[in-house]
Amino acid sequence: MAPRGPLALFLLAGAAWAMPASAQTTTATKTMPVTGSVPQVCALQPATLQPGELVNINGVDGDTLRILELTDPQTLAAKAASATVSFAAVCNFPHRVVVESQNNGLWPTDGRMATPGTDFASALPYEAIVTWADTTGTLEANAKVRALTQTLLSVDSAAAGNLILRFKLAQGASNVADNAPVLAGVYGDTVRIYLEPR
Amino acid sequence: MRKLSIGVAVLATALAAPAFAQSSTSTKSFTVQGNVPAMCAGGTIVGGNGTFDLGVLADTTTGQLRTDLSAPDKVISGSFCSSRSTITIAATPMAAQNFTATPPSGFARSVNYVASASGWTTTPASFDTGAAANTAATQIRATAFTGDITVGIAGFATSGGSTLRLVADTNYSGLVTVTLTAAP
Repeated sequence: MAPRGPLALFLLAGAAWAMPASAQTTTATKTMPVTGSVPQVCALQPATLQPGELVNINGVDGDTLRILELTDPQTLAAKAASATVSFAAVCNFPHRVVVESQNNGLWPTDGRMATPGTDFASALPYEAIVTWADTTGTLEANAKVRALTQTLLSVDSAAAGNLILRFKLAQGASNVADNAPVLAGVYGDTVRIYLEPR
Repeated sequence: MRKLSIGVAVLATALAAPAFAQSSTSTKSFTVQGNVPAMCAGGTIVGGNGTFDLGVLADTTTGQLRTDLSAPDKVISGSFCSSRSTITIAATPMAAQNFTATPPSGFARSVNYVASASGWTTTPASFDTGAAANTAATQIRATAFTGDITVGIAGFATSGGSTLRLVADTNYSGLVTVTLTAAP
């Protein structure tokens, strides 16, 4: 019976050495995720005039482009006018640009409609050319019918930079015949630009 | 009954003793040996929520990274190392998980930041996800230690430059990893 004591002790010592191999952890690690999101954002800043791009236009008055002389005082035909404005813009997802003319041309602001058969122009067609993200689209406001008109540009990716809008009223523009004299009145239209999801 | 039992036990001892008492003194010694291995335990994150949730990352008027981003620190409690140890922090940028293509010109799809772990060593361990090298990511503690580790993130920056915008994505995600290692 005597050997039992020492034998038992050696077994215990052996266990003490063996345990660390399975139980000890020399490395402990904690991980913590870092999360966030970026929502779909489109932003369009106020318009600024492109220097040197004004013809017969006074400038931007708030959100208004004001034409200096709408008609040639000698012929009463529409006088050419043009301006280029830019808008700092961003869309961080694929989107589209909608350019919309409220009246499809410059029409009398008092709401008169065209008078059929007249020799006078009662509305003036114009072009609004939009360039954005390597894409160009033209809104032809032909002044044939007073109605909402729009054109769309589809952009397949996020884009940031300047959206350029070029307004062009041609010499002699008319809704009846080229160079027709224009009926007296105040003419105007509203162009709206939307950056929106496709 | 209790007193009687003790008496019997003492008597039995007295009878057995003479067999050994007759020899000269003999000593046997036995080594009792054990060890405490170098080990570390990671503890638990206080409050149970181990996620740094930054919410909306971009300024919705400009599309650029918000300049006021912040998230509360996380505290790891109950960590210990039974010997000299190192603490190492590593992190990955917050990257868009759905938009995985190369972002278009003017845009980025990841956000860098600096993650730090303090409380374990005099100099906090820190890791900048935008840096080419992170020499401060591993710090050494010369003694065994137990205590809280505070983990924080700061210094957010758009990958590629601050003028870039972030592409839309509902899930930007990165990971901070804190490792305690027992040194031999």
